[in-house]
Amino acid sequence: MKRKMGKRVAAALLSAAMLMTTLAGCGSTGGSTAAGSDSTQAGESAENSKYAETLTIDVFDSQANFQGMQSGWFAKIVKDKFNMELNIIAPNVAGGGDTLYQTRSANGNLGDLIITNLDKSRLKDLVTAGLVLDMTPYIDSCESLKKYETAIADASALAEQDGIWAVPSEISNQPATEPCEAMEPTNAPSLRWDVYGQVGYPKMSTLEDMLDVLEAMQQNAGTSDTGKNVYAFSLFKDWDGDCMQNAGAICALYGYEPMGFVMSKVDGSEAQSIIDNDGVYVRALRFLYEANQRGLVDPESTTQNFDTLQTKYKEGGVLYSLWPWLGAGQYNTSENTAEGKGFASAIIDDMKCLSYGSMPLGKMEVGMMVGSQAKDPQRLVDFIDWLYSPEGIEAACPQTGGGCGPEGLTWEMKDGEPVLTEFGVKAFVDIDADLQVPEEWGGGSWKDGVSALNVKTVGVVDCDETTGMCYNYQRWADYQQRVATKLQEDWSAQNDGALSAIEYMKAHDELLVLPGTNYATPEYSTDISTIKEQCKQVIVAQSWKMVFAADDDEFEQLLTEMQDLVNGLGYDQVLTVDLQNASDKAAAIKEVIATAK
Amino acid sequence: MKKESVKLFLMILPFLILVFLFSYFPLHGWIYALYDYRAPLKLSQCEFVGLKWFKALFSNPTQVSQLIVVLKNTFAMSLLGIATSFLPVLFAIFLNEIKVKWFRNLVQTLTTIPNFISWTLVYSIAFCLFSTTGMFNTVLQNLGIISEPLKILDSGQHVWLQMLLWSTWKGLGWGAIMYLAAITGIDQEMYDAAKVDGAGRWQIIRNITIPSLMPTYFVMLMLSVANFLNNGMDQYYVFQNSFNRDSIQVLDLYVYNIGMTGRSMSLATAVGVMKSLVSVTLLMIVNFVSKKTRGEGLV
Repeated sequence: MKRKMGKRVAAALLSAAMLMTTLAGCGSTGGSTAAGSDSTQAGESAENSKYAETLTIDVFDSQANFQGMQSGWFAKIVKDKFNMELNIIAPNVAGGGDTLYQTRSANGNLGDLIITNLDKSRLKDLVTAGLVLDMTPYIDSCESLKKYETAIADASALAEQDGIWAVPSEISNQPATEPCEAMEPTNAPSLRWDVYGQVGYPKMSTLEDMLDVLEAMQQNAGTSDTGKNVYAFSLFKDWDGDCMQNAGAICALYGYEPMGFVMSKVDGSEAQSIIDNDGVYVRALRFLYEANQRGLVDPESTTQNFDTLQTKYKEGGVLYSLWPWLGAGQYNTSENTAEGKGFASAIIDDMKCLSYGSMPLGKMEVGMMVGSQAKDPQRLVDFIDWLYSPEGIEAACPQTGGGCGPEGLTWEMKDGEPVLTEFGVKAFVDIDADLQVPEEWGGGSWKDGVSALNVKTVGVVDCDETTGMCYNYQRWADYQQRVATKLQEDWSAQNDGALSAIEYMKAHDELLVLPGTNYATPEYSTDISTIKEQCKQVIVAQSWKMVFAADDDEFEQLLTEMQDLVNGLGYDQVLTVDLQNASDKAAAIKEVIATAK
Repeated sequence: MKKESVKLFLMILPFLILVFLFSYFPLHGWIYALYDYRAPLKLSQCEFVGLKWFKALFSNPTQVSQLIVVLKNTFAMSLLGIATSFLPVLFAIFLNEIKVKWFRNLVQTLTTIPNFISWTLVYSIAFCLFSTTGMFNTVLQNLGIISEPLKILDSGQHVWLQMLLWSTWKGLGWGAIMYLAAITGIDQEMYDAAKVDGAGRWQIIRNITIPSLMPTYFVMLMLSVANFLNNGMDQYYVFQNSFNRDSIQVLDLYVYNIGMTGRSMSLATAVGVMKSLVSVTLLMIVNFVSKKTRGEGLV
């Protein structure tokens, strides 16, 4: 009897314990978790006196392509300075578009640090719903942010409530009409220059001429480094939004930028509906369709993702790069460029490559906010302040975008000029994928330690005002000398001795700069956005089918089908709104150009 | 006596609470269908729009034709599922006929395992085998049977059939478990009597096993009819792409695509509400028919 009783008590205790653990599990999910007892680690660095408690902050980051705890050298800098660890939450990695934003924000806590777009009514919604903290009481001590007061006030005005809510990104001290790219515009027809040379650098007068050239190139190219078939085009669907993104990249060669369902020429001269038969988007689809008819499109395009595609570029399996940075970033290693192999921009006579101008008032598509439930708001505001200081810009700006890394590790000052260290040469010139960081900088591989925030806080070609040094290493004399390779020489020789593609295109009027404005696209009303979402799913699906259509008849039939379907869904209502937005933006652009003159 | 019933009630109370929490409490979310809801805002900050979203579903011919396509897919896949629902029965019967115990267990284990593999993993298996550079295409190309890779995953052809094959592969063993249990429940004396009367294996199967399984089969069939509109979304979600979208989008996936991916939560909720109502009606009808024809219902 007694024994049985004992068993019962044990069972009751056990279930009580289980209940407690379940409840405890629920309690710890929300907000930042402070590892208060972790004082041993906190004592390691002298600077930590200001921040006694180690804090792990959740960073909701629409820009990040990595999810999880920041590690490596950047993590060490943040830990040493702020005694803080960054837990990156990345919708890009989670997939499913806005799903993560929707669920997290509906739940009432997006994160402690929020990096996402400010336009399309997002900042307003976040402030209205009480998810964002007013930085006013914390910002007084912030020396770096003070410099950008106007930009911050301008961005915060989007909330339509008094307060300092957000800091925009890519704030620049350069004029708005100057391209913000360093060497090549964001959009240009980038080809494998060596193979282009093998077929005799044929001249191209318009887009469709490129098909003959690429066909000849593909026949000449043989196989990739790993013995696979080489294709001129390899496409991917990861970034499809309102339309098939890869076709949009072709439109950008003629200066068109998608704004919803409008393809808008960025000088404000033209706004087309994307489903127009003779519009530039359908032309781009037809171009890709022709390419596929000639066997120039990688059949894996329909199923692969961006990661797979990058690997193909790295192995030399693709000849045309949708953007210069994509092919060059993967294939133009020092080894390849020394042999004269690599991606470089070709010239099409009638092109107008879309280039982005600097933004004196910052970019409304990406901004930083502090979450209303952040544990130590002052520390977070200090952290943002640091990200906008020279030291922070150097450390945190994405190295793929030309960010130069921390002083002492990748570069040092010599006679008032920045030069790459031995380590920097390996990182930026050799593009050594397995480069290991010295122990005193935190160890681990260089690549893994790069800031996962992936935010450019200031313009890409901006300079440190005190030293006059450009934050972008690609602009340094030292770097340019080091990469003066056979590839570069060959390219210059073919293009009147020009030093960079951007310089050549500027001189030949083949560039169209989208001046930086603080124009913020308004949000669609739910009625319109419901129609728009349905239309866009149809447009994206039909576009892919059109590119891979069996013959001309099928292509035309799919096109008509797409037009009929979206028109039936109420496409016109969306188009009206998009046209209005496009014309508002054009007006903003004209104003910027007028003031720049 | 009263004490006893209180005790019994207390025993089912936890389950009642669970049912309430997970099956009835979430229904309060239906209210979102009546508002113009946008994610970070609280419901009180959104506009009340009444039945607007329900009307929007039928607002124009294209919208309706889209819905019809979606329903066609839903019905087709459900019907195919119901049409093949006898497969687990047959499988269970034949499995039961295997007399070598270890072999029978082996087959049963191997066919049950796929049920525990998530659809995401099933898709990665499918991708490895059937993508344009997958094993299937590579082998055929190397053997010189085809020159161009066959498009299997990224084509709009035979989508229903493909989906049926995948779900059969995944669910056959699991579906048979119920019938295997039912078979062990059949009175052994009937078998003995049949054997004494000189019945062969086939005759025993046809005259004893199958009729004895029918009640179980009908219950399962009725449940699947009630679930006609709920053919789930995970399978179709992982397999969907631009090329097969027109034939793969079932109701649940459609709700997800417009609600989560397409950011129209309210419209998606409206579709969800309608779906639930239709499902409940279907269940009622099936129950009524069952009562009339077989004399016993589900509820």
